[in-house]
Amino acid sequence: MGYLVTILILGCVNVIAALGLAVLTGYTGLFSMGHAGFMAVGGYAAAILFAHLKLPFALALPGGALVAGLSSFVIGYPAFRGRLRGDYFAIATLGFAEAVRLLLNTTYKYVGGSYGFTGLPQLTSLPVALAATAAALVLAHLFVTSQHGKNCVALGEDETAAEMMGVNLLRTKLAALFVSAFYAGLAGGLYAFFMAYLSPSMFGIGKSSDLLAAVVFGGMQSLVGPALAAFILVALPEALRFLLNWRLVIYGLLFVVIMVFRPQGLLGYKEMNADWLRRMLGRGPGAAGQRDGGGR
Amino acid sequence: MILFLQQLVSGISIGAVYSLLAVGYALVYSVYNFTNWAFDAFMVTGAFAAFYAITLFALPFPVAIVLAIVLTVGVSLAVEVGAYRPLRARRAPRLFMMISAMGASMALVNLMNIAFGGAFRKFPQVVAGALVVGGVSISKMDLFAAVFSFAVLGLLWLLLERTRIGLGIRASALDTLTAGLMGVDNNGVALVIFGISGVLSAVAGIFYGAKYAVYPYLGLVTIKAMIASIIGGIGSLPGAVVGSLFLGITETLVSGYISSIYRDLFSFSILVAVLLFFPNGLLGAKTVDKL
Amino acid sequence: MSDCDGGVPGPVLLELRGLGVSFGGVRAVRNVSLSLRSGELVGLIGPNGAGKSTLLNLITGSARPSAGQILWKGRPIAGLSPDRLCHLGIGRTFQNIRLFPSMTVFENVALGMHSKPLYSLAEAFVRGRRARAAEAEVARRTAELLELVGLGGRGSERAGALPYGLQRRLELARAMATGPELLLLDEPAAGMNEEECAGLTGLIRGIHREFGYGIIIIEHHIKVVMELCAESRIYVMNLGEILAAGSPREIQGDRRVVEAYLGEKREAHGRRRRRLARDS
Repeated sequence: MGYLVTILILGCVNVIAALGLAVLTGYTGLFSMGHAGFMAVGGYAAAILFAHLKLPFALALPGGALVAGLSSFVIGYPAFRGRLRGDYFAIATLGFAEAVRLLLNTTYKYVGGSYGFTGLPQLTSLPVALAATAAALVLAHLFVTSQHGKNCVALGEDETAAEMMGVNLLRTKLAALFVSAFYAGLAGGLYAFFMAYLSPSMFGIGKSSDLLAAVVFGGMQSLVGPALAAFILVALPEALRFLLNWRLVIYGLLFVVIMVFRPQGLLGYKEMNADWLRRMLGRGPGAAGQRDGGGR
Repeated sequence: MILFLQQLVSGISIGAVYSLLAVGYALVYSVYNFTNWAFDAFMVTGAFAAFYAITLFALPFPVAIVLAIVLTVGVSLAVEVGAYRPLRARRAPRLFMMISAMGASMALVNLMNIAFGGAFRKFPQVVAGALVVGGVSISKMDLFAAVFSFAVLGLLWLLLERTRIGLGIRASALDTLTAGLMGVDNNGVALVIFGISGVLSAVAGIFYGAKYAVYPYLGLVTIKAMIASIIGGIGSLPGAVVGSLFLGITETLVSGYISSIYRDLFSFSILVAVLLFFPNGLLGAKTVDKL
Repeated sequence: MSDCDGGVPGPVLLELRGLGVSFGGVRAVRNVSLSLRSGELVGLIGPNGAGKSTLLNLITGSARPSAGQILWKGRPIAGLSPDRLCHLGIGRTFQNIRLFPSMTVFENVALGMHSKPLYSLAEAFVRGRRARAAEAEVARRTAELLELVGLGGRGSERAGALPYGLQRRLELARAMATGPELLLLDEPAAGMNEEECAGLTGLIRGIHREFGYGIIIIEHHIKVVMELCAESRIYVMNLGEILAAGSPREIQGDRRVVEAYLGEKREAHGRRRRRLARDS
């Protein structure tokens, strides 16, 4: 497979996972340090569905994503019902991801343990990856612009006020977590069928940090920002191969710098969509001299 | 029975180390309502500082401890001033502070990974041998770790309860704004708090590194401390100690009687169970949001 | 007690019976009883720390009473979650403004409607007719409410960037968007000057007339409360209890009320005298 195609496919995988995290962290304000865990669940589930249950790829892939989404309730329900404050939810997600990794590392039956899951065909071609990414982007956009998405944003801005205005905190948080876990699971599945191999070490803290970096750099309350950032974060290290080890150090420093100097990241709070385009072109809501009734 | 006591002792020892970390988290959380994610990096700094002080410079253990503490406090203060203070001054949302803390941690830990390499290093044996009490063999290092940790916690208690600085900290924990208006130097208090964090994490790092191994990702154990903190009750210092001992002991028992592989899985399950049945932890108080 | 335009008060909406709550040993609210009929506009005043906001918090579900009952249209509601209470018809504004600062003015108000189930998640993805119709209705009603409070045309501005007075009005619009039957206003005129107060008074009176909400208003600007509740009644709280209840004139003449307020002033005055004496 050509080098460029590889980068594109890996970029797509990262974009999809980052979109999921964007919904959870960028929009709903829930900090997750364990999204690699959901990628692992999705990837392994898809692999099992395909290899052991003999489901076709077209079913195994979303199936794996669904399993990942459902697994989010394991940590989501106790955490949200217990009104776990932000930081502690992050810890819980970290704990979840580590638990998943541990479980996969020590289970040799069906999943290969630390030796990994081998023998998967390479079914993630460029068209597949691109189609999945496009669908992911569109669906995520539809989600955040719907009432469900607005509830998420309000919750992220001020949980107490949102609740007083009628937003059900538990349901909204669970929904946001489910969507983000589903996306991560989908990304995990695509990854599995591209690498043709799965190993628990692929889904460690480094991966979770990568995804978080995409959302932080890309900006809060934005989809295009994190998507772009996610892609750049895959392409750039490849181009700057020699920086590989320094990658996380640089991300870390950038996190601090961005939070101190430009917390909105690349495109935070400024979603590029049809409205924005129209406004730029001088027509549509918000354009000078026009009475509007619209939001973003 | 002997095995049980053995595990118990070991559990208390590891629990003591966890409690240093858990108290460190609880202290910062109680004042700033914020989890100091960079804590794990401080711990690693302490561990490596002590390690190299002994192996490279052949310094005696007590000196190494002091050196490690000083260095770690320096790092802790640097992170406070560089990564936290500017955001606090701007009343940045908690999410941003978490990201900044995360970033500081990533940068520090991976810097050490590059500088020192990821190999597991065995901490030199500075306190050798074991005591045998009633058939139970207690490693002297474990004993030293537990005693030293509790001594540090005791000193901290004295500081908080019996000194003016401690009063300032406790006032800030209740209401930072009012404390500031009443003349408490908020920036000074911050320095003291993060200084204390540095001490706690350095000591924890040294003993944890001594018990297991010294390596850049040793800080991951702080997750346990956070879990312990949740179990004991968020923001509660006594809760942190109780939770840590509880976790340390139960973990070790599981590890000893069932399997060490499942030890971490067990901790995570405990977390889920506590969240489900005791959302405020065993000792935590429900916080009321001022509307 | 009827409201200004001679309308007959409706059935009892809210009833508090012997309500009490303690926070860490401090009895913030004790033995509070009152009742409000649909369409009544009543005031709640009292010195700082009297427990007025705490009372609102009890009614809106963010605090759980330790004694007494809260009845909504005859059914007990203590212990229900805030969002459930909002859907039942209780809306509120906050003492310290709690808008959604990075959302637009439009989105803030729309949230009041978005928090109610309008269409399912699946429909959100397909954007079928029902979803689009629902959103159109939300947009229409939001524009109406914005116009009403004087924010027409400013829908796409960031809520956090609005001047203070307009933020207060936005909060009001947002509360109205939840379609309440009871509106709890917590110091809506805080920080406003004479002119702004007059404007706000007019606005509240106007929406009371037009929508017939039951309203409980907490305020420190006595003039605002006296005007709005001229034909109605005012409750005075002090130290967690209802000290007095009656028409504005009755309240003004009540010695206990005067003492409660003067007590506050006298204490502050005494502190000032002592400090002056110390510094001289």
